[in-house]
Amino acid sequence: MCIKCMELSRRSLLVGGGVAAAALHAGVAEARIRPQDMVPLVGPGYRPTEKDELGMWQQMERAEEEIAGSNLLIQDPQVTGYLKDLIGTIGGPAAKDFRIYLARIPDFNAMMFPSGFAVVFSGLLLRMRNEAQLAGVIAHESGHFLRRHMVRSWRDQKRKSDIFAVGSMLAGIGGAGAGVYLGDYVQLAQLGTILSLFAYSREMEAEADAMGMKLIAENGYPPMEMPRVWEQLIGEEKLSARYRRKSRRRGSLFDTHPSPDSRMADLRISAQEVTVPGKVYDDRRARYLATIGPMRQMLLDDQIKLNDPGASLYLVQTLAQDGWNGLLRFYEGEIWRLRNRPGDEPRAAQSYAAAVVYPDAPADAFRWHGIELLKNGRTAEAKAAFARYLAMKPEAPDAAWVRQMVG
Amino acid sequence: MRKWGLALALAAAASTTACVQTRQFADVQFTPPQGNYKLLVLRPDVTVSQLTTGGMSEARADWTEMARKSIVDALRAQQASRGGQTVVVEHRNEIPGVTAQELADIERLNMAVDQSIVLHKYLGDYLPTKRGKGLDWTLGADAVRLGQKTGYDYALFMHAEDQVASTGRVVLGVLGAAGCLVGFCAPNIGGATQLDYASLVDLKTGEVVWFNVVQASSQIPGIKFGELRTPQGATQMVDRLLGRMKPGQAVRRQQAGRR
Amino acid sequence: MKSVLKPVLVASALALSACTGLGAGESGFSDYSAVSVKRVSVGDDSMSVIPPRPWNRQRHVTFGDIREVDTWTLNGPYLDEIDFVSGLKDNRALIRQRWNANQQVPRFRSNMTPPEIAAMLESLFRVRGGAVDFRTLSLTPRPFLGTNGFQIEYEHLDNDELWRKGRVVGAVINGRLYMIMLDAAKLHYYADVLPDFESIVASARLRGA
Repeated sequence: MCIKCMELSRRSLLVGGGVAAAALHAGVAEARIRPQDMVPLVGPGYRPTEKDELGMWQQMERAEEEIAGSNLLIQDPQVTGYLKDLIGTIGGPAAKDFRIYLARIPDFNAMMFPSGFAVVFSGLLLRMRNEAQLAGVIAHESGHFLRRHMVRSWRDQKRKSDIFAVGSMLAGIGGAGAGVYLGDYVQLAQLGTILSLFAYSREMEAEADAMGMKLIAENGYPPMEMPRVWEQLIGEEKLSARYRRKSRRRGSLFDTHPSPDSRMADLRISAQEVTVPGKVYDDRRARYLATIGPMRQMLLDDQIKLNDPGASLYLVQTLAQDGWNGLLRFYEGEIWRLRNRPGDEPRAAQSYAAAVVYPDAPADAFRWHGIELLKNGRTAEAKAAFARYLAMKPEAPDAAWVRQMVG
Repeated sequence: MRKWGLALALAAAASTTACVQTRQFADVQFTPPQGNYKLLVLRPDVTVSQLTTGGMSEARADWTEMARKSIVDALRAQQASRGGQTVVVEHRNEIPGVTAQELADIERLNMAVDQSIVLHKYLGDYLPTKRGKGLDWTLGADAVRLGQKTGYDYALFMHAEDQVASTGRVVLGVLGAAGCLVGFCAPNIGGATQLDYASLVDLKTGEVVWFNVVQASSQIPGIKFGELRTPQGATQMVDRLLGRMKPGQAVRRQQAGRR
Repeated sequence: MKSVLKPVLVASALALSACTGLGAGESGFSDYSAVSVKRVSVGDDSMSVIPPRPWNRQRHVTFGDIREVDTWTLNGPYLDEIDFVSGLKDNRALIRQRWNANQQVPRFRSNMTPPEIAAMLESLFRVRGGAVDFRTLSLTPRPFLGTNGFQIEYEHLDNDELWRKGRVVGAVINGRLYMIMLDAAKLHYYADVLPDFESIVASARLRGA
């Protein structure tokens, strides 16, 4: 097992030389920027001319080649075609040249690279309730591109670290005179700089939010769907923390993103500002569900297997707002089985028992139902459940073991 | 990218004064390629950046292009002088008969093998079963299949990196050196770094037969050598990296015995 | 199951800073010690095996290691690894983790059936091993340590974009978990090391047995 491999987190796997992430960080509220004040700073067919930007694009070419060749990509043409259409529509004037890749990573995240390609994580598709919400996230990322945040932040950082370096040198010399050694601190900071080449400021994130809002409103999506994304995320974070008996992390001054709470508040105001009374908006929910429907089992599977019971339960319960079914009850059972605290096993057993009643119960539900029955001494019923499992999945990986149980 | 990690680690292992280091390991039976051989160079990873005053690395497209071209030219010339035919593959889909996926799989295995070599041979975390045995790693049958499909004898995986200090940084460096007198030294305000490694795979056996790391750095900014952007600098780097291939242990002993 | 001093970044601390040679080379202190071709105890010492040829064993670090778990490698942990779990007790996890970490590896329970153990391993790889895709290929009964055990085969894609393959042979004896696990790069290394693994499994004995 590769714990010892380069311990990059899933998120950072696709991080080549620079990332803009709509990450769930907490921070202090920044002054709201109005959507109507946002104009794109690049047009169609944009190509950089300045040296530093050219250098960035070139590095991004290699990063894109790595990503395009990654084993983590989901290549399903129906979904990737859908995403391509989406970004082409709401991505702004330069969007016809954008590329968009879907990575099989169960986190909520999306990122835009400086040379005009975006990467969306599959965890996003599990959490967005309709096309408007998905469009909002993609529009936010496009906003970073359209407002040239990458280059601006890069130049900003360069200027700051120039100042910082001189400052630290002087401080060091002065400090040494006073008997304080500051050398190590400088070293650490430089490492951090190299590894996170693009850190957007809080102001830039607010700009991207505003630009995103403007783009989706222009395309007929209900503006209120954007703050709802953050509302959902806050709910998920809270439940995740509660199940581990922690409090949800509050903001710290050093984080670069506005907190979900303040983002949500600002976006609500912006949404009200851009909503035209009487205009008919469409969140295109049906089309979204039809497109990602076939993937949903895989998305749930990846999420539940992270064993973050609070977050997973929140997502399952949210999906169940449209009605419980065999699939959702099964995954509810999986959540308890994996959390495995005292009292969780009976809960899991209950969910599996509920799942198998539905016509869409997956085969695995019968196997786990059988195992729970077996552990409770209800052997005959267990064998029946196992038999059903084998009938549904005769080539299951554990068929040999299950057959032995049936006897 | 994961290559950052390796590069950073090797950079951290650099000396505290200006010097050029190379350290090569070879399979005990290794004889440097000679005569009429065909060499496949896979997606050389070349970057030339500018080191700003603050120590940030700023990739320069124009410099990188110059360096890439210089390195490729130097490589071809150097291998030609040994009698070899060199083909440089820039993108994964360039080799006829080999899919991009097949090539990607080999590259990724090679990355894991290279990391293992660096960890266990260069950074001191040695494996007792491999100690003193030259180079004992392989890419296996898939590399052999690559050789059979393409007709190449060897594959070279390369990584080259160069940093050039900006004027601001040169000034800072001087300041730092002065600071040493007071008791505060800024050891990591380096001048310029050149970090290159290469691994040679024998496509008839799939084995990694030769591995080398070249690290040239100066702690005193303003001293330059081996500038990858220039033909001379690239030739020098390629020569250091590939030109002084020494035969493996067993072969050397044989040669010594013959004299 | 221990991490090898994390990314190579940290390992560089071992390197010398003299200009006479790159790094420490093959002298000095290594994480690994040799395992010779004779019967050796593994884990909590209640199980013993014989390797068919010399292998390398990761030294235990006092803080952060599970006593019941032992790790061997032939070509280095990026490429292949055999882990021994011997005598893991009820309610213990295979690795150390914070009690309130958001994502956790489930603990072993004495009443676990083989599918539950397979699921625990999958969690281990996904949550701690950084696997982005994990597929159980087969789960069959297999005698081990003189009792009715199980064998699990799987594949996983890790965050270095490399597919790795694994085979586990195990049994629950007196409420404790005993396993021998092979994990190696799917290209070349798995097939190369599998005969060693099978030989080691065949030689496995419980103390006092």
